Amino acid sequence: METILKVRNLKKTYGRIYALKGIDFDVKEGEIFALIGPNGAGKTTTLRIIATLLSPDEGSVELVGYDVKKEPEKIREMISYLPEEAGAYKNLTGIEYLRFMANFYARNEREVEEFVKRGEEIADLGERLKDKVGTYSKGMVRKLLLARTLMIKPTLAILDEPTSGLDVINSLEVREIIKNFVREGVSVLLSSHNMLEIEFLSDRVAIIDNGVILETGTPQELKDKYSSRNLEEVFRRIVG
Amino acid sequence: MKKFANLLKKEIKELITRQLIASLILTLVLFYFIGNIARSEMGKVQGVKDIYVLDLDESDLSGEILRNLAFANFRINQVSLRDKDLAIDLVRKDSKISLLLIIPKGFASSVSSFQPKEIETYSFIRSFSMSSSINSEILNQIIVSINNYLSDNILKTKLPDLSPKIIKNPIKNRNFIVVKDRIAEGSITDVNNFVYSQSIFVPIILMMIIVFSSQMVLSAIAMEKQDKTLETLLTVPISRNHIVIAKMLASGIVGLVSAGIYMVGFRFYMGGFMGNISNAQVNEVVQKLNLRFTADSYILLGISLFLAILCALALATILGVLTEDLKSAQSASFPLVFLVLIPYFLTILSDINSLEFPLKVMVLAIPFTHPFLASQNLMFGNYVVVLYGILYMLVVFVILVFIAGRIFSTDRVLTMKLRFGKRFR
Repeated sequence: METILKVRNLKKTYGRIYALKGIDFDVKEGEIFALIGPNGAGKTTTLRIIATLLSPDEGSVELVGYDVKKEPEKIREMISYLPEEAGAYKNLTGIEYLRFMANFYARNEREVEEFVKRGEEIADLGERLKDKVGTYSKGMVRKLLLARTLMIKPTLAILDEPTSGLDVINSLEVREIIKNFVREGVSVLLSSHNMLEIEFLSDRVAIIDNGVILETGTPQELKDKYSSRNLEEVFRRIVG
Repeated sequence: MKKFANLLKKEIKELITRQLIASLILTLVLFYFIGNIARSEMGKVQGVKDIYVLDLDESDLSGEILRNLAFANFRINQVSLRDKDLAIDLVRKDSKISLLLIIPKGFASSVSSFQPKEIETYSFIRSFSMSSSINSEILNQIIVSINNYLSDNILKTKLPDLSPKIIKNPIKNRNFIVVKDRIAEGSITDVNNFVYSQSIFVPIILMMIIVFSSQMVLSAIAMEKQDKTLETLLTVPISRNHIVIAKMLASGIVGLVSAGIYMVGFRFYMGGFMGNISNAQVNEVVQKLNLRFTADSYILLGISLFLAILCALALATILGVLTEDLKSAQSASFPLVFLVLIPYFLTILSDINSLEFPLKVMVLAIPFTHPFLASQNLMFGNYVVVLYGILYMLVVFVILVFIAGRIFSTDRVLTMKLRFGKRFR
């Protein structure tokens, strides 16, 4: 599998706080790569830098050869970012929102319709897609946002806590959607607190704490290395 | 361009909420309603007015007074009772007529023997409406005119060789107004009132558009932050400058339309109070003094207004970045509204040129001062001053847009914040 994302010696500070102290990792084509770590470990900062929202102080991020600092607009054409706390425009209907987002990525009207149709399938909200987003429940909004993220089949989907705030049933549905989508060739970089979710979804995992990556490997490799039954135990042993 | 149009469409759609439409309709209806009431009150003043008259004299002179009243559009209701108190009681019980005039017995003979005799007018207050006070004023003016008529007659009898007008006004005064190299004879108050009635809408329109558009752009950015849509928007493949411009343009369009609708309502409202101020004599004086807008003036005023709106939008965009939600957006709009109100009141209440130098510089540094001054300067033909103002606003606009663009293209758009609520806690 070809490497599509290369992150090297990534550093970022907020005033006197060192959020990232030099992060290195790769994401390969068609894989789900997960960042796990406690609150304030640097997961969201890393994702935001890759999503061109924050600029790094040092280091580099390359997506399919394009540098995030030098060519952010090229990067934005290839990524699709789902922030942890995201919303959709309340005054638009679900369909209008999907069409609005599709218009940024599609090359022609036919492609817009193709993206919207895929979005409808992923969101699976039926007739409610014709209602204004302001009337949706939290779970419905999250599904709509996930549909928006994946419908354009980005080179890299960046998902920050994709099941954040969702109930068990909705979380299971969202995980299924992500898993199925990767089979169609999309690479995913995600962060989560939920170890079960990570174990279910991820091909490879990086454990991050205090702005540094402490371990990288497949869930099985990590479990074997730390003689643990699950990732939760691995995490506890590493982060302590 | 397709992406920009997509974004602009969304921005406009987001701004035109049900609440906005409802508030616009409500304001329009309210202004129309108040204007209509004011118009009907003014109509009452101009139309036939009822008055009770108790004529105890029944002389030629009292008959003359009643004819004068009828000429001034009063409908005379003669009171047949011959007692003052009973007449007052009668009018007190009538809810429709609120004026009573009593001409005492011996009125004509007293006047002819130069013994001042009082005629009494009673105004019955049943409401504090415009028409009730104006009617009473008209009645007083009529009595002043009758006084003049009587005194002129007496003077004519006693001094037949002299004109009563010369005796009463030995000094004659001619008023001239000078504007640059043009002189015209007329009243400065009339000319001022005329020019004011012609240009009163310029500062009001400007203030409303600036305030509306700025609040729109502030709300647009604050809503993106509050609804957590800004991060997503910043990661889509569209230039950050286009995001800024789309927000400014959409807010400008919606602000302009909203202000336009408010102005239609405001015109109804003001029309009710002011009616049509037109006077051929004043018109002639104004024409002589060249105190009128030419086509060039309108173009320059339009450019000046447009640039002021752009400056306000750019400043509001920067302020919008500092907000976290709609609540803080309202606080953030205060400095901008303040900057608009200072020149607005200064141009209405005083002459900016007469201010102390440091204060004058401070006021002129506010970009919104220039369109307020432009309408006056254009009337006086001071085109160079207006052009300097336009140039200054253009420079300010470019600087503000540069700052806004820089903020949006860096991570400051997400990290810059002003915590208004928390700061004051």
